[in-house]
Amino acid sequence: MKNGKFGKYGGQYVNEVLMPILIELEAAFEKHYKTPEFQDKLNTLLRDYAGRPTPLYHAKNFSKLIGCKVYLKREDLVCGGSHKLNNALGQALLTKEMGKKRMITETAAGQHGLATAMAGNVCGLETEVFMGVKDIKRQASNVKRIKLLGAKVTPVDIGMGVLKDAVSDTLRKWTTCSQTTHYLMGSTVGPHPYPEIVATFQSVIGKEIKKQIVKKEDKLPDTIVACGSGGSNALGAFRPFIKEKDVRLIFVEGGGESLEADNSAAAFKIGKPGVLHGAVMQVLQDENGQIKPSRTRAAGLNYPGRGPEISGLVDSRRAKSGSAFDNEVFEAVKVMARTEGLIPALETAHAIAYMVNNKDEFDKNEVVVLNYSGRGDKDLETIMRYFNES
Amino acid sequence: MNLENKFRELQNKGEGAHMPHVYYGDPHEEFSLKLLETLVENGADIIEFGIPFSDPTADGPTFQAVCERALENGMTPSRCIEGIKKLRTKGIDNPIVVTTYYNIPYVMGVRKFLDKIKQAGAQAIIVPNVPVEEADVLLAEGKKSGIHPIFQIAPTTTEERLKKITDIASGFLYVIGVEGVTGVRESLGDSTLKLVQRVRKHTDMPLMAGFGISTKKQAAAVVLAGANGAIAGSAYARIYEKNLKNPETTLPEITKLVEQIKQGCIEGYKQRK
Repeated sequence: MKNGKFGKYGGQYVNEVLMPILIELEAAFEKHYKTPEFQDKLNTLLRDYAGRPTPLYHAKNFSKLIGCKVYLKREDLVCGGSHKLNNALGQALLTKEMGKKRMITETAAGQHGLATAMAGNVCGLETEVFMGVKDIKRQASNVKRIKLLGAKVTPVDIGMGVLKDAVSDTLRKWTTCSQTTHYLMGSTVGPHPYPEIVATFQSVIGKEIKKQIVKKEDKLPDTIVACGSGGSNALGAFRPFIKEKDVRLIFVEGGGESLEADNSAAAFKIGKPGVLHGAVMQVLQDENGQIKPSRTRAAGLNYPGRGPEISGLVDSRRAKSGSAFDNEVFEAVKVMARTEGLIPALETAHAIAYMVNNKDEFDKNEVVVLNYSGRGDKDLETIMRYFNES
Repeated sequence: MNLENKFRELQNKGEGAHMPHVYYGDPHEEFSLKLLETLVENGADIIEFGIPFSDPTADGPTFQAVCERALENGMTPSRCIEGIKKLRTKGIDNPIVVTTYYNIPYVMGVRKFLDKIKQAGAQAIIVPNVPVEEADVLLAEGKKSGIHPIFQIAPTTTEERLKKITDIASGFLYVIGVEGVTGVRESLGDSTLKLVQRVRKHTDMPLMAGFGISTKKQAAAVVLAGANGAIAGSAYARIYEKNLKNPETTLPEITKLVEQIKQGCIEGYKQRK
């Protein structure tokens, strides 16, 4: 990795106002992250506040259904209900080290917004969360949580009122206040050094998987499956295994309703390289380079771009990309609920659906780790509505 | 006329330059052409010709809406480039600086894009989301195509970066006076004037100041501080967006504003000692 480039992806495509701030952020990250003091603070919070390490659960019933040995990495048990807190705590500590008093961020499913508000309170930082008006409506329970924690929720009604628009507006806001305020980016997207910072903080997932699976199986996993759009939970799980060439990495994106134009979020299938929100990414766009809105019922996967590192991994064929359609995802929620008694987030259910749909891909003796990135409480109404209507 | 000659001509006349920024195709092409003609006839020296983009992250609410409308009405990069040709066919020979976000040239192919705008009659390009760190392609291809990549300087720009930028820049430097996005602001902070003065110490290259300029007084202030001219964009869009069904009816008001801002550029220059 050089200057945040992963093959043709990545970079720092931002306006001059923000460039000096990104340089400052990179320097701060390099200075503080490795110090024992920072590591100690971070690890203490991850352990005592977030609830790490999360278990690696052998899902026997689900394994039987798929026909291989499946372990679930239980990121749903991280306080707040998803992996998002891993990164939020790390960046909040970094914000303090940089002497900034405020954090802004954007959220779609609300999980990252919630994690940021939690981390902000823990570290004594003021938090403002930008959220598309459409997402505010469909993730109402998380909005309530964020507000209860005292963070300001700013509705974004430009464009389609979804994540892409919220990211654009947060970037705009940041250009007005970057010297006092940290933009706590929630996924492995945006200009360098963000993809690197977020992947580093999230790689605690993969480090734990490595230890846990060796203890249980006395070997590395054969395959790791994770859902994503920007790629933070997937890279968190993949990172320590990228150099282990025998470990298959499967990344599942949001297929939406169908792969037809304007109905999907599957940028690996129907997108191409382009520049959005500070980096070259695999991105949904028309033939002229205008970015297209993505579509999926899972708000957290509803982003037209794939982060630079996951784009690079798929481009170099180190990772395989797959997708799942909305109806398959709802069915997958039911499958997990009935086999293991767990209700996954709609995002996580994409990884589950991929396994259900592609049983043939998994051998009988194969050991698969599915990164179970979040719980489905936030999606309960959407899920019930789907089953009542269909 | 090329940029260099335009700046020299204005210096000889003792005037600051005015560069209005118009995103092409809002609300439709016919109006954009009329608007640009009106601006040039009444005081604009250089045209900043915006090619609309779906996610203009350096632009404020006014220009976001402008881009959205232009794209909804079917504006494309190729039609924009044709629009530059149309301006040249009409006999407008003022320098034209294209502004767009990097994905537009990236997808077409940077070289192809620059060749096309050059052939159409443009002299330079502003890509707000390409800082010096990512400018290698733009610089190399710009040189081959004969298009100046214009770089921006912001209040957050360090001395070290300032030097880096002035070393590679050509055409002129775009001085962003405020931390933020494009759009009309009530008053022009000290930061703009201070930044112009700071940059002036580093270079003799022409400086154009922009972001938040919408009045004669503001234009005069930046030119007095040492800028070669003033850029205004959203201020014009805010006038015609009041009547999008018949935007032509707002042209007299736009004429008045462009005259005033140009007058500010002239007065600011005359007030210099």
